[in-house]
Amino acid sequence: MDNLGFLFAANAVVWSGIIYYVYTIKQRSRALEKDLELLKEALSRKG
Amino acid sequence: MMMNPDAVEENQEEGNILVWLTGLAFLAAMIAIFIYVPTERTEGVIQRIMYFHVPSAWLSFFAFFVVFICSILFLWKKEREWDIYAQASAEIGVIFCSLVLVTGPIWARPIWGAWWVWDARLTSTLILWIIYVAYLMLRTQSDAGSMRARYAAVLGIVGFLNIPFIHFSVLWWRTFHPQPKVITNEGIGKGMDPTMLATLGVSLCAFTLLYFLLMGVRVRQENLKDEIDRLKKEKLYSA
Repeated sequence: MDNLGFLFAANAVVWSGIIYYVYTIKQRSRALEKDLELLKEALSRKG
Repeated sequence: MMMNPDAVEENQEEGNILVWLTGLAFLAAMIAIFIYVPTERTEGVIQRIMYFHVPSAWLSFFAFFVVFICSILFLWKKEREWDIYAQASAEIGVIFCSLVLVTGPIWARPIWGAWWVWDARLTSTLILWIIYVAYLMLRTQSDAGSMRARYAAVLGIVGFLNIPFIHFSVLWWRTFHPQPKVITNEGIGKGMDPTMLATLGVSLCAFTLLYFLLMGVRVRQENLKDEIDRLKKEKLYSA
């Protein structure tokens, strides 16, 4: 079972990449939703 | 683009189904890669990297194909919708092209004895990655507007022309990179063991589902950004 370390590294890279990208997307979504809420509130206050 | 609440709810439901499908497909792929598929005789356990590497490459090529089509449609119809699809797809393509460029060398080190060689397949894939990184930089660096979208669309089209070159590079030149195993002169999948082909198929399905899931979220985000811009303008004019 040579090269298991390389296989583990490749697997870790792929999963880390996917998870990190999904995390950044989630963060962006949260920021956008917050912005939208604030804007809607500001506009409704103005009537 | 104003969002209809019913449509948003329906999209969320579809999104949830896709999340479950993608999760199950990845679970099946992991079981197939680490338990079901036999170890390849000559390369050993390291060959299993192929089940991540090839689907990542497929996903990135497919994503860039979507950029290509949507860029043409944007230049033709001048509809913002196509620009949004192209932008979202390019980002996903770059992420997975990066994974190809990292997993490839991890496989190459024990097999070739070198992390990287400047052969036609590797070099042309690196060029593809650079083109689409430039595409994303162009979108973030220059001022917002239709000119930026038009320049990006042209780059998105030109960048895709590299993909047939990448595919045929291993046939046209003597390269270190392995020859195609799935699509060969003998037919589709004839150059592979059926269990390996099935494992690769499951992994390809999982990555493809992930692409559609990520695309859905990214397109929704871009629509939300447009909505925020519209409201900001509304707020500015009402002040």
